[in-house]
Amino acid sequence: MGHEPPTPTHTLTRRAALAALGGAGLSVALWPRTPRREAGVPSGRVVLHYWEKWTGTEGDAIQSVVDQFNQSQDTIWVQRTPVSDIAAKTMTAIGGGDPPDLVGLYSYHVPLFAQTRAAMSMDEFASTPGGMASPLDPDGYAPSIRQLLSFDGKQWAGVNTCYALGLYYNRQLFRDAGLDPDRPPLTTAELDSIADRLVVPAGSGGGAGRIERAGFLPNLPTWWPYVWPIMFGGALYDAPTNRALIDQPASIAAYSWVSGYPARLGPARSAEFGNRYGRNFHSPDDPFISGKVAMIVQGPWLANFINLHAKRKHDGSGEPDLDYAAVPMPVHESVLDPQHPLGLLEADVIMIPRGCPHPEESYVFFCYLQRRDVQERLAYLHGKSSPMRDCSPGFMQTHPNRSVRVFDQVVKSKRAIVLPQTRAWQAIADLTNGAFDSIWHGSDVQQTLSVVQARAQTLLDKSAQLRARRLRSAGGA
Amino acid sequence: MKHLSSTSSRDIRRGLVWISPWIIGFMLFFAVPAVLSAVYSVCDLSLLESPVYVGLDNYAELATDPMFKDVVRNTLVYALASVVLGSVLTLGIAVLLEQRLRGRECVRAIIFLPTLVPAVSGVIAWSWLFNPGYGLINSALRVVGITGPDWLGSRALAMPSLVLMSLWVIGGSLTVYTAALRDAPRSLYEAADLDGVSAWGRFRYVTLPMISPAVLFNSVMSLIWAMQLFAAPHIMTKGGPENSTYSYSMYVYFNAFYYGRMGYACALAWIQILATVALTVLVLRATRGVIFYRAA
Repeated sequence: MGHEPPTPTHTLTRRAALAALGGAGLSVALWPRTPRREAGVPSGRVVLHYWEKWTGTEGDAIQSVVDQFNQSQDTIWVQRTPVSDIAAKTMTAIGGGDPPDLVGLYSYHVPLFAQTRAAMSMDEFASTPGGMASPLDPDGYAPSIRQLLSFDGKQWAGVNTCYALGLYYNRQLFRDAGLDPDRPPLTTAELDSIADRLVVPAGSGGGAGRIERAGFLPNLPTWWPYVWPIMFGGALYDAPTNRALIDQPASIAAYSWVSGYPARLGPARSAEFGNRYGRNFHSPDDPFISGKVAMIVQGPWLANFINLHAKRKHDGSGEPDLDYAAVPMPVHESVLDPQHPLGLLEADVIMIPRGCPHPEESYVFFCYLQRRDVQERLAYLHGKSSPMRDCSPGFMQTHPNRSVRVFDQVVKSKRAIVLPQTRAWQAIADLTNGAFDSIWHGSDVQQTLSVVQARAQTLLDKSAQLRARRLRSAGGA
Repeated sequence: MKHLSSTSSRDIRRGLVWISPWIIGFMLFFAVPAVLSAVYSVCDLSLLESPVYVGLDNYAELATDPMFKDVVRNTLVYALASVVLGSVLTLGIAVLLEQRLRGRECVRAIIFLPTLVPAVSGVIAWSWLFNPGYGLINSALRVVGITGPDWLGSRALAMPSLVLMSLWVIGGSLTVYTAALRDAPRSLYEAADLDGVSAWGRFRYVTLPMISPAVLFNSVMSLIWAMQLFAAPHIMTKGGPENSTYSYSMYVYFNAFYYGRMGYACALAWIQILATVALTVLVLRATRGVIFYRAA
């Protein structure tokens, strides 16, 4: 057997070792002591990390509020980070023990974060550092908003603008069709009748058979497939009994009404029309802004996007060339009460995650955001109505959304409906997506809703059962 | 008992030190999370609070969850269609590009290009291509007087559209096939020529057996990828219409990060990995007699 090749040996010379050490030392010396994003923070301030979902003009709006807070005092510096898919990332951050100081979520997240004690409730902040925080006044919120922020009798979140849904309609298209633009639809029957008069089919050629312009389509957009039962006086959930109400008569009536649209316009071509705009919302090609649909259900923010993206008038004023208005969502005539409109109410919320580095300082900023003037400023910049019980003088008069009073009326209405306050809601909401699609394509309404009801109830029961087991487990520990 | 010499054990220690970054990474980011997910799969866990043991409840719930059946069916349909069609298409193109054709290297590079496009960018581009009103596909059809369908909005067409899109990214498989085709012994083709074998016969009895390990490798890898279908339906259809493109991985993700049911998501994920392993083993066993490995 021959000799094995010698194992290569590498020796480290003293010069190389010194050079490596010197390089490492230089790197340590030159390594920035503060992260680049904190380079502009004035010294001596406590830095709060605030995750918020908004980008674009809405992100600029909250940043202007943050900037105003940062300039208003000299102990705290809030650093806003725009975060997409924010709930998933927040859950991961909290689970990993590294949450931000503040996080902006949606009101339907409150039950989950409250029940798991992942957020801090407001009664945990009995005293504030140095009396810096403005006093939090829960009575200052509109009653439905207060309900959205609370769970199990405690307030877990602050409001960060709110929205109700309304029906926007194109007044010029009304006039063109011989309709009175000052008589928008108030009931679903009126909506159907007006919508039918506003449909324009495509001409001949490759696009024949398609819809050129729609009057109204409940699948445009499909963001709130669960809203329709509310417009028929129905509810989605009964909290005291933990029962889903998806297959109740009002829901069946509502989705039967929805199914009338594909039945009249054709399921395939009406679905095609909706899908055509799947990625165009809030852009110049938005179906409402571009005049491709005469009426659409949207939130108050649409006014901002109209101001931003609609074609300009030719008179040099720079104003958007779109004559529109908004009204509360039409409802079934049996539940019509113009003084107290029915409507779905949701809110963007801000929470303080449990385990965050600076809870007391976070509470100071939290309270600042809950001030009426601050919420009004943010609402103004977002084109929304105020979430507070009362508005300051002039708020409505100077508001950039010409229909802000309509949305404000729904927010303050005693018939404003909030989403089911259960942690199973998101899974149930996703079930309604599939059901809406099925009904649109011709499935039997009652049968489809029965399937969703059964699954939704299973999810609610499972959630309650797991909660009970967890409480027993905690009690026994 | 034979003891390692001091040189050998020193070499092993040294080797372990050199691969320690990989070992640490593997332990931290794969082994430990995998074990933890197995533990969590028998717990109620929302990420926001500590796990509570629930036994096999999560696995039992799968049997009564109608969405579970939907996502399994959708994912298997996608996997089967994309793997079979992808394999046939890629192999056909690879064989074609081995012919003496002008510009074939250029074509090969063009086919490889989509592999370099980030998945999300590609998916968004395809969602525009499929747009029923403005999309390039329907616009082209309109030019010749045909009203194109609603590709992603129709229950019948949404999943086939995703399969069609999957055929866009075949550059990696094509490279493997190309290498295998070039590695096939010339002598076998010369012998076949002398015997007067037709072109189809050469492909059937020479090419296919010689590249069969590459076919198996590509099929298994494609199958594993297809079973993890996520980005395309999540971005393009959100699982619709009527849940027809709701994939298994989407359901895992939604349960874990949207519904606050990480324990149930872990159970789903373990079923997914076990199903993928089972399918892989099934494919390996089923093809045992038709794969030809040449001696080194």
